[in-house]
Amino acid sequence: MFINFKGAKTYINTGGKNIDVDKTTLCFIHGSGQNHLSFVQQSRYFANKEYSVIVPDLPGHGFSEGVPCVSIKENAEWIYDLVKELKLNDIVYLGHSQGCLTGLELNKNYPKLLKGIIFIAGSNTIPVNQFLIDLASNDFHKAYRMMVTWGHGKDGAMFTGNIPGHSHFGEGFNIMNMNNEKTLKIDLEACNKYDGGTDAAQKIKIPTLAVLAKFDQMTPLKSGKKFIDLLDNCELKILDCGHFLQAERPKELNTFISSYLRKLN
Amino acid sequence: MSDNYKFDTLSLHAGHSPDKETGSRAVPIYQTTSYVFKDTEEAAALYNMEIGGHLYSRISNPTVAALEQRLAALEGGVSAIACSSGMAAMHLVVTALCSSGDHIVASSKMYGANINLLQHTMPRFGVTTEFVNPNDPDAIEKAIKPNTKMVFGEVIGNPGLDIMDVPTIAKICKKKGIPLVLDATFNTPFLMQPFNHGANIIIHSLTKWLGGHGIAIGGAIVNGGNFDWGDKEKFPTISGDHFALGGISFWEEFGPAALTMKIRAEGMYNFGPSLSPTNAFYLMQGIETLPLRMKKHMENTHKLLSFLQDHDLVEWVKHPDLETHPDHLVAKKILPKGSGSVIVFGIKGGRKAGQTFIESVQLASHLANVGDAKTLLIHPGSTTHSHLSAKAMKLSGLTEDMIRLSVGLEDIDDIKKDFEKGFRAVSKLMK
Ligand SMILES: Cc1ncc(COP(=O)(O)O)c(C=O)c1O
Repeated sequence: MFINFKGAKTYINTGGKNIDVDKTTLCFIHGSGQNHLSFVQQSRYFANKEYSVIVPDLPGHGFSEGVPCVSIKENAEWIYDLVKELKLNDIVYLGHSQGCLTGLELNKNYPKLLKGIIFIAGSNTIPVNQFLIDLASNDFHKAYRMMVTWGHGKDGAMFTGNIPGHSHFGEGFNIMNMNNEKTLKIDLEACNKYDGGTDAAQKIKIPTLAVLAKFDQMTPLKSGKKFIDLLDNCELKILDCGHFLQAERPKELNTFISSYLRKLN
Repeated sequence: MSDNYKFDTLSLHAGHSPDKETGSRAVPIYQTTSYVFKDTEEAAALYNMEIGGHLYSRISNPTVAALEQRLAALEGGVSAIACSSGMAAMHLVVTALCSSGDHIVASSKMYGANINLLQHTMPRFGVTTEFVNPNDPDAIEKAIKPNTKMVFGEVIGNPGLDIMDVPTIAKICKKKGIPLVLDATFNTPFLMQPFNHGANIIIHSLTKWLGGHGIAIGGAIVNGGNFDWGDKEKFPTISGDHFALGGISFWEEFGPAALTMKIRAEGMYNFGPSLSPTNAFYLMQGIETLPLRMKKHMENTHKLLSFLQDHDLVEWVKHPDLETHPDHLVAKKILPKGSGSVIVFGIKGGRKAGQTFIESVQLASHLANVGDAKTLLIHPGSTTHSHLSAKAMKLSGLTEDMIRLSVGLEDIDDIKKDFEKGFRAVSKLMK
């Protein structure tokens, strides 16, 4: 659905169903240079089960207009304001990559807001090399092609995929290409600058789930595992794919999410 | 994981990696109609298109999907659908985009069935078409009306070999907010990738050069993912509420892949023009050697062009790579590797001479196809385009004496020798 939020046309995917505040709402937050379509195999899957789903396009991403948030803190504030605007109260947060940093910050600043957090390809820090940040501002198309190429495991390079007729690369390139060109650099810089992750991770009191990828070149498994060590009550699952595990291993990921949600409720 | 592979590599590999259980290097032929569900939850999710996977081969099949992904990779598109023929692909696109009351702007110089579908069949369902000269961008722009849902043409027209100025027409379509749909059968992604020039949707008859061996009929629709379908009033079939799947908007749920998902959910589901997995396998075998074949097709074509131009009994020769062709400059710009391996020519002595020539050659086959590895000939006026009215025939640039030649991969000396045989028969006739 499209809403006017903070003066800008904003798109919130709800998995083809209406938001139902009486249900647990799964709030999916995309990563750098992505949008709601990076959860295409999760949004409708969970909206057609017993959950309410929101997958916002952050400002400047996907179908959303507005000024992109320049820091992880700004992103977290934007999401807090959005869930208040939508009057959501029973929320499980699911972040991918940069979305994990945003989830950490959101939970730290509003410790009563979330019932659970699922970190997908996450860590407490996501350093981004300057070369990629510069490329994102000088040659957007080259930068996202590089990210999609690095971001997928072995299956990606040969244009294989699990939605018939679609490949991970074909989708990956086109999803990133939908966004306002300026947002990629802003996102990458926000990740690179964020240093509140360790503190935020140590403050988490709620049970969490982390799903990491063995061949993740964006948020490497090693870094993800160090992050998990900071968490008190985290269930860890590891999949044999690249960074975009929601597209690469949707069935396995959805099964992990379902079983975590059942335990939580 | 790895850097982007180049065209020749993708022709061989894209869409498939050896399966984990058997290690089968070739794409397996999944000769099955259906797929066992893990549980009822998975079945429901597949039916509702919430998650990727196969449920029934009318809608999708793993072998066919490998072909689709290979085509999408070669064209630089987001996704593709393979179907039972080139005409099925055309019909799927028209019915995905247009409803009763809608309008199409199309080239007047196209394959007979493409013209017939739009001129005679679709009007019965309330979809009308204005035919315009494909190399007249102004006429195309003027023909676009508020209810126009697509601009359609063949990159290289069959059989007149008119070349569409794709970049110019794409700019017009973009300005007007209308998708540019191109039949790229004659160029294949090896000679030209229309998405790089601004086209939005590509249709292929895989029967021709992509399959390349004259053994299987097939078609495909490749989705460029580069068109904004967001205007619900204008494109209700893509961005409005779908009649099933809980009334979703394909544009909102699938973004750049919306068209493919729409065609999968409606066209494949309700019309059912599916491609058999075995034919998908044959077509993929062909695609593996597409770059090699296209190079040789073009080499032989250029040699045969010189041969025909120099021949006393040839009245005229038409090919976009010849400077005499009216679209030569456009061809040079958008088809730098060559404008395909079909040549049309007229023999002195008109229709009768043409018939004699076709009946006297032995190596070249007289049949209704193009793009085979073997050399093919036909007289379009009495065959492929015979269902056209006299007016449509004139509009599509057909002449009585025209012979359409699809240049094959045989040794060029043998093709020339064979043609000499044909010309000898013609000169006997003229004596
Ligand atoms: C340019 C063009 N498009 C489409 C088609 C239709 O293809 P098919 O025979 O695979 O249906 C043909 C067939 O001759 C063709 O030449």
